[in-house]
Amino acid sequence: MTGAFLAALEKVGGVAVCCGTLQQAVACLAERVRGPLLLPPSPSLQRLDLAGQLRAAGVEVVSADFHQRAPAAGAGLTGANFAIAATGTVVLESTAEATRLATTLPEQHFVLLDPRKIVADSSAAVPLLRQLHARLPQTFLAYITGPSRTADIERVLTIGVHGPKELYVLLCEGVSDDLLES
Amino acid sequence: MSKQRSRQYKARIDQALAAPRLQETLHRFADAYLASRENAFAGHDFQALRAGIAAMKDDVRDRREEYLAQFTRNAEAAGATVTLARTAEEANAYIVSLARQRGVRLVVKSKSMASEEIHLNRALQEAGIEALETDLGEWIIQLAGQRPSHMVMPAIHMTKEEVAELFGKVTGKVEPAAIPHLVQVAREQLRQGYLNAGMGISGANIAVAETGGLALITNEGNARLVATLPKIHVALVGIEKLVPTLEDAHRVIDVLPKNATGQLITSYVSWIRGAVPCGEGRKELHIVLLDNGRGALAESPHCRDALRCIKCGACANVCPVYQTVGGHVFGHIYISAIGIILTAFFHGLENAAELVRACIGCRACVAVCPSGIDLESIILHLREVLGEEEGIGAGKALVFKRIMRNRALFHTMIRTASLLQKPVTRGERTIRHLPLFFAGLTEWRSLPAIADRPLRDQWSGIAQRVEKPRYKVAFFAGCLNDFVYPELGRDLVKVLNHLGVTVSFPREQNCCGVPALYSGDRETATVLAEQNVAALLAGNPDFVVTTCPTCTMALQRDFVDLLRDHPRWAARAEQLAAITIDVSRFIVEKLDGGSMLQGLAAPEKVTYHDSCHLKRGAGVWREPRRLLADSGFELVEMAHADRCCGFGGSYSFTSHPDIARHILNDKVVDIEKSGATCVAMDCPGCLMQIRGGLDKQEKPVRAAHTLQLLAELLPPEKS
Ligand code: SF4
Repeated sequence: MTGAFLAALEKVGGVAVCCGTLQQAVACLAERVRGPLLLPPSPSLQRLDLAGQLRAAGVEVVSADFHQRAPAAGAGLTGANFAIAATGTVVLESTAEATRLATTLPEQHFVLLDPRKIVADSSAAVPLLRQLHARLPQTFLAYITGPSRTADIERVLTIGVHGPKELYVLLCEGVSDDLLES
Repeated sequence: MSKQRSRQYKARIDQALAAPRLQETLHRFADAYLASRENAFAGHDFQALRAGIAAMKDDVRDRREEYLAQFTRNAEAAGATVTLARTAEEANAYIVSLARQRGVRLVVKSKSMASEEIHLNRALQEAGIEALETDLGEWIIQLAGQRPSHMVMPAIHMTKEEVAELFGKVTGKVEPAAIPHLVQVAREQLRQGYLNAGMGISGANIAVAETGGLALITNEGNARLVATLPKIHVALVGIEKLVPTLEDAHRVIDVLPKNATGQLITSYVSWIRGAVPCGEGRKELHIVLLDNGRGALAESPHCRDALRCIKCGACANVCPVYQTVGGHVFGHIYISAIGIILTAFFHGLENAAELVRACIGCRACVAVCPSGIDLESIILHLREVLGEEEGIGAGKALVFKRIMRNRALFHTMIRTASLLQKPVTRGERTIRHLPLFFAGLTEWRSLPAIADRPLRDQWSGIAQRVEKPRYKVAFFAGCLNDFVYPELGRDLVKVLNHLGVTVSFPREQNCCGVPALYSGDRETATVLAEQNVAALLAGNPDFVVTTCPTCTMALQRDFVDLLRDHPRWAARAEQLAAITIDVSRFIVEKLDGGSMLQGLAAPEKVTYHDSCHLKRGAGVWREPRRLLADSGFELVEMAHADRCCGFGGSYSFTSHPDIARHILNDKVVDIEKSGATCVAMDCPGCLMQIRGGLDKQEKPVRAAHTLQLLAELLPPEKS
C-alpha cells in the first residue's frame, strides 16, 4: 500500500520522504522549512512534542496567534488522519481554523504520516469520513492531493497558484495508528 | 427580433472563424484531453461508473423534496442557514441584502457557474459591493470584462500575452508573458483580497443529504481560502448537486476530475459542514439552494436527464463545433451541448434558439458524458419545440409539409431537378461550380449531381441470381443512395448476392424524415415514419438493410419514438427497428462475410472514417474495419477517425456551412496525414462531404463507401 501511495503522490507532484525515525523527520524539516513554521494543534504531534524537538533543531515554530502570523509564515506542519493510496491523497480533518490557515496560506505544507494509516481507495475512506462526521458537530475535512495547481493560462500546468507550492509527506512509523486523529 | 438575433449570431460565428489561434488552441486541447482522459480511466469501467451516476441522479430527481428536506435539516443542525431561491432574482436579493446587513464592502469568490448563471457579480456591483474573482481563469475574464468560454477552464480562449497585458493594467508595470510569472502575479495580487474581504462566496460540486455538508472539488486552493478567511461564507448551490450519501458523493468525485481534466483527483476536495470555527467565534455559513428552472427541467420528460450533469465540461472538449468557434459563440452562460439545454431552461428558450441549431448532431458528447445524458436527443427535442414556437421557416415548411409527405410529388421534383441541373454539371457527375448565389455551396467542396436515373428506376433491371437464398432482405436506400449514388445500390446487390442473399427494393419507401425532424418538423417526420414502416414491412423481409447510418438511426430509434403513441403503428415500428441492420454489421454478423471475401483485395492502403451516426448511433465501427482488413486491404488508422466530417445534412448546406467547412478541412488533413490512398466510410452523407472536399482540394485520395470497395473485388455481374 505504501508503494502505491508513494507512486501516486509522486505523479501529482508531491514529495515523499521516508523517515526511519522521528529524529530523521525533524532533521528533514529543519533542513527544508523556509521561514516560520505554523504548527496547529494536533493530538499526535503534541504527544510526540514535535514543537519542542523542532525548536531544539532551530526551527521557528508558531503555535499561537495563527490568524496574525499565517500570512507571513513560510510553512505549515500537520499530521494526517489517514491517506488514500490509489490517488496519493492525504486526508486531514481541518475543522480547527489554525489547521486550515497552516495548510492554505504558506508556500510549504509538511505532513507527518504514519504509513499504517494508508487505506486503499475512496471506498475505504467513506466509513472513516462518516465516523468523523459523527464525532464532530461541524466539520471541515480536506482531501489534499499534491500542491496547489492551475492550468488556466493556455492549459499549462503551473504549481502553487493560491495554496502551497510544495507538499511534503514525511512517512514515519510510530506517529499514530488511529485513523480518526490527525 | 429573431432576424436581428440571427444576424448577430452569424456575425459572432464569422468573428470566431477569423481567429485561427483560437481553433488551434481548442484542437490541441482536445487532443491532449482525450489522451489524459484515457489514462485516467485506465483500469476503470467507464460504463459502470456512468450508470452509477445516472441511477443515483435519477433517484435524487424523483425524490428531491425528501433529500432537500434531509439536507436542510442536517445543515441547519450543524449551524448553517439554508435558503431555497426559486429564481435568480431571489438568490441575488438574498445575497445582496445579507452583504448589506453585515456591512460587507468586498466579497471574494471562488469559481461558481451558478453565480455566473444568476449574474451575481452584476447584482453585487449594483449594490456597491465589490466582487473579486479569485480563481485564476475567472479573475482573468473578470479583468477582461468577458464571460467564461468553458465551464472548467473559463479563460481557455485567451493567450498568455493577453493575460500579461491585463495583469499589467492591475500592477501598473509591464508584465512579461511567462506563465509561471503570471501565476505568481495572481497569487500576490489576490492574497490581500482574502484577508480584507468580509464575505466569501463559493459554489459547491456536491451537497450531501446524509450529512448536510458540501463538497468542493478544486485545484487551485482558492476555494479553501474563500471558505476559511472571511467571517461569512455563502455557498450558492444548484439543487441538482444533491446526492443522498457519502458513497454517492464519491461516485461523483471518482469520475468528475477524470472526465474533466484527466486527473485521478483534483488537488483539493473540501468537505464543509456547518458553522466551523472562525477567529474567536464561528463562521456564518449560508447555503443558497438554487432552483431557477431546475424544477421545471425535472418535470420535462424529454429533457430531464440533463439534470444528471456534473458539469465536467467534457461535452465541450470533444465537440467539433466548440473546437471550431469556441464557447463565446457556442454557448450563452453554460456552453456547448449541455449549455444549449441548460440555457433553454435557466435563461429561456429565446436565448437558446440559435444554439439549438448550432449542434451538428455528431453525438461525440453523448459518448463522453459521464452521466449518460443523450444530449443530442434532448437538443433535437428542443429544436422541435422551437420549430413549433417560432416556425421553421416558410420555405422549409413548404418542402416538408407539401412536398415530402407526398412521395410521388417529392420524387418527381427530384427527377426534374436532375434535368434542371444539366447546364451546371456539364454532363459530369460532380458539380464543382454553381451559378450566382448558389456558388457558395461549391466554394469549398464539389457536390455530386443528382443521378439521371434514381436507383428506384434502375432496380427492375438489376439481375439477381441466388440459388437457395440464406436470407431475403429489403433495402432501405434513403434519398442520397436512391437519387445521388444509385450505383451503391448495385454494389449492395452484387455483394449480398455473392454472399447468398436476395435484396428487394420496396418502392413505396420515402425519405427517412430526418431532415424534417432535425429541422423541428415532427409532424412531417411522423407521416414519413408511417409511410416507411408500411412500405418496409409489406414484403415480410428477414432483415431491412441500410447503407446510410442516419437512416439506420431513424428506423431503429426515431420511428419508434415518433409512433410510440399511435396504437396502429407502435408495435410495427418496434418490429421494423428489430430487423433493421446496417449492411456492414449484417455482412459480418449474419453472413460471416469476412471469411468469404478473404484475401480478394490487393494490399492498398485504406484508412477508415467513422460516421458519427454509425459509430455512436448504431454502435458499428469494428465491422467495416474487419471486412476491409479480412478482404486484404492494408488498414491504416487516421487521427480522429471518429470525428465528424462536418456534413450534418442541412447543417453544411444552409444552417452552418462555414462551420461545416472548417470541420471538413480538419478531416481532409487527417486523411492526408494517414498516408492512405483511399478513405473508406459507410455513409453516403460523409461520402458526399469528404469526396467533395478531397476533390475540391485536389488531393490524390479516393473516397469510397465500404460496399463499393467490396463490390470491386467481385467478378463483374453477368447481365
Ligand atoms: S452533460 Fe455530461 S459531459 Fe457535459 S458537462 Fe454535463 S456531465 Fe459533463
